[in-house]
Amino acid sequence: MPDALSYDRVSLRHDAASVDAVGPISFNLRVGERVLLMGASGVGKSTLLHAATGLFPQSIPGDRRGAISLHGCPVESRTPADWADTCGYLFQDAGQTLAGFAVRDEIAFGPENLGVAAARLPEIVAKAMRRAGVPQTWADRRINMLSGGERQCVALAALLAQAAAITLADEPAASLAPEAARRMTARLLAPGRTAIVVEHKPGPILDHVDRCIALGRDGRVMVEGAPRDVMRRHGPMLAEAGIALPLATRLHAALPDLIDPRLPLREALIGVAPKARHRLQDALLPAPIRTGEVLATLDGAACAPPFGPVVLRDVSLTLHAGEVVAILGANGAGKSTLAACLAGLLPPRAGRRTGPAGAVAFQNPEAHFSRDSVRAELECTATAPDGVAQILNRWSLDRVADQHPFTLSQGQKRRLALALLAESDRWPLLILDEPTAGLDGASEAALAQRIRALAGEGRGIAVITHDMDFALSVAERAVLLHGGTVQFDGACRALMRDPARLAAAGLLPPEAAPVLDWLETAGC
Amino acid sequence: MLRAFHPLLKLALCLAWIVASLAIFDLSFQIAVFAGATLLLALGARVPLRHLLLLMVPFALFGFGFLTTSLLFRAESGFAVQMAQEQGGAPDVAPGLVLFFRVLACGMTSAMFALTTDPGQFVRALMQHLRLPASVGFALMQAMHMVPDLRAEMLQLRMARAIRLGRPLRRVPAPGEVIALAIPLLAYAIRRASRAALSFEARGLGSHAERSYLPQARAGWADWAGLTLGLAVLAAALAIGRGPAG
Amino acid sequence: MPNPSVWTLRETLIVAALGAVFGVLYLGWVQVWLVLQAVFGPVSMDVVMGFWFIVSIIAAAIIRKPGVALVSEVMASALQVLLGSPAGLLLLLTGLVQGAGAEAVFAATRWRRYSLAVLMAAGMGAAVFSFVYTWIRFDYGSLAPGLLVTMFVLRLASGAILGGVLGHYIVKALYRTGVLSGLAIDRATRA
Ligand SMILES: Nc1ncnc2c1ncn2[C@@H]1O[C@H](COP(=O)(O)OP(=O)(O)OP(=O)(O)O)[C@@H](O)[C@H]1O
Ligand SMILES: Nc1ncnc2c1ncn2[C@@H]1O[C@H](COP(=O)(O)OP(=O)(O)OP(=O)(O)O)[C@@H](O)[C@H]1O
Ligand SMILES: [Mg+2]
Ligand SMILES: [Mg+2]
Repeated sequence: MPDALSYDRVSLRHDAASVDAVGPISFNLRVGERVLLMGASGVGKSTLLHAATGLFPQSIPGDRRGAISLHGCPVESRTPADWADTCGYLFQDAGQTLAGFAVRDEIAFGPENLGVAAARLPEIVAKAMRRAGVPQTWADRRINMLSGGERQCVALAALLAQAAAITLADEPAASLAPEAARRMTARLLAPGRTAIVVEHKPGPILDHVDRCIALGRDGRVMVEGAPRDVMRRHGPMLAEAGIALPLATRLHAALPDLIDPRLPLREALIGVAPKARHRLQDALLPAPIRTGEVLATLDGAACAPPFGPVVLRDVSLTLHAGEVVAILGANGAGKSTLAACLAGLLPPRAGRRTGPAGAVAFQNPEAHFSRDSVRAELECTATAPDGVAQILNRWSLDRVADQHPFTLSQGQKRRLALALLAESDRWPLLILDEPTAGLDGASEAALAQRIRALAGEGRGIAVITHDMDFALSVAERAVLLHGGTVQFDGACRALMRDPARLAAAGLLPPEAAPVLDWLETAGC
Repeated sequence: MLRAFHPLLKLALCLAWIVASLAIFDLSFQIAVFAGATLLLALGARVPLRHLLLLMVPFALFGFGFLTTSLLFRAESGFAVQMAQEQGGAPDVAPGLVLFFRVLACGMTSAMFALTTDPGQFVRALMQHLRLPASVGFALMQAMHMVPDLRAEMLQLRMARAIRLGRPLRRVPAPGEVIALAIPLLAYAIRRASRAALSFEARGLGSHAERSYLPQARAGWADWAGLTLGLAVLAAALAIGRGPAG
Repeated sequence: MPNPSVWTLRETLIVAALGAVFGVLYLGWVQVWLVLQAVFGPVSMDVVMGFWFIVSIIAAAIIRKPGVALVSEVMASALQVLLGSPAGLLLLLTGLVQGAGAEAVFAATRWRRYSLAVLMAAGMGAAVFSFVYTWIRFDYGSLAPGLLVTMFVLRLASGAILGGVLGHYIVKALYRTGVLSGLAIDRATRA
C-alpha cells in the first residue's frame, strides 16, 4: 500500500523571501499512523503542511522543489480543492480554518462540497457537533461571536464532518483549556487515524502518537523515532533546537542528580531527600517579588464582550504593582472579556473600575499590527537609538526584521505583539491574553523570565493562560473564572493542588502537581 | 414567525410592496406601508422599540432631505409634482411629505427583510432555487456576515490604537479617528476575504464533485399562504386607493 | 495557464467583500450628502457623487479583470438595499449604470491600464453614465441649461477627484498594508 503522504526532498520558498522557509526534507506518513511534528517557531512546519495538498504554492504564492504525493499520486495531479476528500486541515489559527459563517453553515460546508447526500447532512452536522463538544444550541451563532477556544472546537467539528482520511493539524490545542484539549486529542489521534499534528508542547500527546519528527533550526529533519525514545535520548538537542520538553526531562536537565527522567515524576520523587526541597522549589516556582501599591481595582463589575451580553457578574479584583496574577478558566469562561475590562478598555456594564489604563496583548496577535515591517512596528516602541536592534535580538526576530508582520509565522507574530507591549514602559498594567499560544519552548522560557523582570520593575501583570505549568512558573496568585464569576482568588500553588476545584472548572492539574505535593510533604 | 418565512417568498413579497410604494404617490398609502412594516417588525419579529427607532434615524434623515428641499428650495418638486399628476391630480399635501414617508416605508420594508432573514438560509435558497454558482453564493454569504463584524473589528482596531498611542479609549470615535481607521478596516476586509478563499479551497469548494446542499425548510403551505395574504392586502390597499380617486 | 480573465475564488471573495464594505461606507456618505444638501441645495448631489463610484475603481485597480468594476458597484448597491437603504430597489439600477460607466473606460483600455489618468477617466465615465441616468429619472430637461452645465461639470470633476484620485490613493495605501500580495496589482508592480 502506498504511503498516505510522502515528501521527497521538498524545499519550499515563499514569494518575496530570499531563503527557503524549509527543507530539503523527506519523510512519509503511513496509513493509520499518527505523527507528531516538532520544531522551533519559524522553521517551516506550517508551510510544510500547506504544501501537502498544493495550497502552497497554488494559493499561497511560492516555489516548491521536490515531490509530494498522496496515496501514491503526485500532489499536482489534482487541485487543492479536489484533495479535500483526502486531506482535512486544522490550520494554526481557527479563524483560518473557518470562514466566518454561522456554526451550522461552517460544519455543513465541507461535506456539502464533497457532494454528500443532502438527506444525510443534518445528521452529519449534529454528530460532528456532539463529538467535538459543540453545544447544539450554537448552530445559529456566528463564528465571530465565539471565544478563541470555542472557535477551535467548531473547527474540529468542521474537520470531523469533512471526514477526510488524512488529518493535518497545526497546533490544534494551542488555545484550548486542558479538558477541551484532551477531547481534541482523543478525536484527532484515536488509534487507527492517519494524522500529522504539529505541537510545541508535546507532553499531553506523547502517548497518542506513533512517531515523532523534530525539525532543526536549519529546516531539516533532526531526529525521528518513537516519541518517548526521542524525548529521553535527545533531550538536550531538542531543547537546543527550541522544542519544549516534558517537565520531568526539564527538571532532570536542571537537577540531574535529583530527578531520573525515565520514571514518572511521582516515582522519581520518592527517593529525593527532603533537604533538596529548596532547589526543587527554585526550579519550579518563581522567586518572590515584593508587591507595591494597588494599581487597578474592579468593584462588583459586570463585564461583557464588545456588543455582546454580560458574561461575568460581580467581579471584584485588585491588582498590585509587582504582582503577577494568572487568570484561568475553561474556554468561554470570560477571560478575554475580563482582560478588556480590567485594562479599562471597555467600561464595565455595572460596578466600577479604578486605576490608570492598562494595555492588553490581545489573544489574536494580528490585532496589534499596523505598520509594513517588523522593524517599523518596533520603531514606534523603542526609545534608545540602538533599541530596535536590541529588541529584535531579545525576541529572536532579527531574521525577519524586514518582513511584513502579517507574513510571519504564528510564533513570530506572537513574539512581535508581546514585544510591542513588553518593551514599552508606558504601561503600569499589562494583561497578556494567552501569550504562550504558538510559542516554542525556548521563547516560552524567555517570556517567563521577561514577565518576572517586568514585575520586578514594579509593573502589575495579569497572564491569561491554559497552561497550568506556565501559570505556576510565573504567577504567585491565580484567579479562576467559572460559571460567570470569580470562583477562586488566591495562591496559585494552592489552586494547583486542588484537582477537584480545577476539574469543576474544566481544567486539569499541572504536570508539576506531584512536585507540589512532594514539596508540601517536605514542609516547604 | 417572520423569521421562519421562506426567504425567497419573503423577498418576493417585500419587493412587491416596495415596487408598489415606489409607484403610488399617495401619502396615506405610504404611511400605511411604513406603519405596517414597523408593526410587523415590532410584533412579528420582536425587535425592541429602541432598536426600531435607531433603525429609522438614517431613513428619516434621508427623507428629511426630500422634505426640506421640496419645502425650502422647491427644487426636485417639479419631478415630484409631475409624478403626482400622473397618478391623478395635484397632491393635496406637500410632495416632499409624501417622499419623506415613501423613504420611511421602503426603508422599513427592506429592514424587515434584512433583520428577519438569516444570510446563510437566504444565500442557500438563492443557490438552490435560482442556480446561483456556489463560489458566488458563498462569496455573498461571507460578505453579508462581514458587515456586522465590521463594527467589532473597528472597536478592536481602536483598542489596539489606543494601546499604541497610550491614550484612553473614547466612547464615541472622533471623525479624525474614523478616517485614520478607514484603510486598516478595508485591509481587514480584503485580508478576511483572502483567508476565506484559502479556507474554502482547503475544504473543497470548487472541487469537481457534484455539490449538495444542507436541506432547507421547503416553502410549505404556510409560506404560500403568507405570500398570498400579503399580496391580497396589497391588492386591497390598491383598490381602496383607486376607489375614491377614480 | 489559467484563463486570465476568469476570476479566481480569492478575487470573487475580494470583490464581494469590497462591495460589502463600500456598501456600508456609501450609506454613511448619504448622510454627508444630506447635510450638504440641506445647506447648499440640490447641486450638492453632483459635488459628492464621485464617492459613490469609488468601489468600482478600487476593485478594478486591484484585480484588473473584466467585470470587476461593474460587479463590485452592483454588489455595493445590493448590499445597501439589503441593509435597508432609503433609496430602495432603484439603487440596484443606479449601481448598474455607474458600474457600467467605469467598466466602459476600463474596457476601452482592454483592461490593461490602471494609471491615475485611467482611474480618473473611469470616474468621469461613471459620472457621464450616471448623469444620463439621472437626466431621465429626474427629468433634467426642464432645468435651465446654465444650471445643467454646472451640474455636469461638477459631477465630472467629482467623479475624477472623489472617484479617481481618491481611489488611486486608497489603492496605494492598501498596497502598503501588504494585503494585496499575489493579486494582479502586486504582479504588475513587481514585474
Ligand atoms: N508569505 C511569506 N513571505 C515571506 N516569508 C514567509 C511568509 N510566510 C511565512 N514566511 C516565513 O517562513 C518561515 C516559516 O514559516 P512557518 O509559518 O511555516 O513556520 P512555523 O514552523 O509554522 O512556525 P510557528 O511554530 O511559529 O508557527 C518563517 O520564518 C516565516 O517568517
Ligand atoms: N461578540 C460576542 N457576542 C456574543 N457573545 C460573545 C461575543 N464574544 C464572546 N462571546 C461569548 O462570551 C463568552 C466569553 O468569551 P471570552 O472571549 O471572554 O472567553 P475566554 O474565556 O477568553 O475563552 P477562550 O479561552 O476560548 O479564549 C463566551 O461564551 C463567548 O461565546
Ligand atoms: Mg506555524
Ligand atoms: Mg480568550
